[in-house]
Amino acid sequence: MARLADACSLALACSLAAGIAVAQGIPGLQKSLLPADQAFRLSARALDAHTLEARFDIADGYYLYRDKMRFRTDPISAHDPALPAGERKHDAFFGDVATYRREVVVRIPLAQAAPGTTLTLHADSQGCADVGVCYPPNPQQLTVAIPASKYPGPFVEAAGSKWFK
Amino acid sequence: MSEDALDASRAEAPPRRSRRAWLVGGIALAALALGAGTAWYHSRPTATTDGAAILGLVLPDADGRQQAMAQWRGKVLVVNFWATWCAPCREEMPQFVRMQSRDAGKGVQFVGIAVDDAAKVRDFAREIGLNYPSLIGGFGAIELSKSLGNQLSALPFTVVLDRDGRVALSHLGPLKSADLDHLLGRLLANG
Repeated sequence: MARLADACSLALACSLAAGIAVAQGIPGLQKSLLPADQAFRLSARALDAHTLEARFDIADGYYLYRDKMRFRTDPISAHDPALPAGERKHDAFFGDVATYRREVVVRIPLAQAAPGTTLTLHADSQGCADVGVCYPPNPQQLTVAIPASKYPGPFVEAAGSKWFK
Repeated sequence: MSEDALDASRAEAPPRRSRRAWLVGGIALAALALGAGTAWYHSRPTATTDGAAILGLVLPDADGRQQAMAQWRGKVLVVNFWATWCAPCREEMPQFVRMQSRDAGKGVQFVGIAVDDAAKVRDFAREIGLNYPSLIGGFGAIELSKSLGNQLSALPFTVVLDRDGRVALSHLGPLKSADLDHLLGRLLANG
């Protein structure tokens, strides 16, 4: 009986303490969220002399919007890639929108073959976290070497973009 | 030590029940201290306690008129960084509209800073019947919010200034209306 009373008073004190923490401060999401360049990790490689492959590895609980995703290359330009369909998400304001989770892989056809050269890939993306924050549109670029051989080149990863450094 | 002294010290030792009471009391106190510490940690402003960076701003509103934040000095000021492309921002703004009409007479002023362009802000303002100014910050507003504690550059991000221009809250993510009500009540009561 005495032990039960102890347990109760301890539980009361602990819940009181937790209550103070919630009532006084309004816990924000600052500590529990990833920076955008870790939530959405961009990498790319040359598949062959006239095709790039870009991919985003997307952390659990985060998603990218399909209609905000754009790619271009220079100095050799690229055709518009066929973006995967993605998952449909219903949004109270935007209606049905297509989103990507976990990963999205995009093949980007170059306007002409460019063996042995180096291209800059510009990728625009924008995404959110399920807990209720969105990251600004994120322009990133990376440099991809096109192999002279017919084999795919290595993946290169994007450094942080200008908004998130 | 003699046998007698040992016996005496045993006799003076508190009974088990009371020792346990002390132990439980101690843990309870430690838990309370931890809770209070956590409360302080969460409520402290993350960047600066001085809202001068906000009160010194002059930004255009959605109609192109320059607005100085200093015109709202002396009010409890809720500054909400948002954008039309941010669904969680759009979701929480109708509650700000309700609070603005309810608390304007008590000295509360909401001001939006949109990471967006004026045309989109005007459209959305009309859509939800926005009853407080939303200034156009463009992407530069992201840098501003970073200087106020928004290290992740994400939205929505809300800063609350008390009547003396001190930062009372620097918050990433949607705000629960009960939490914001409680904070506004406290800030209004203080001055």
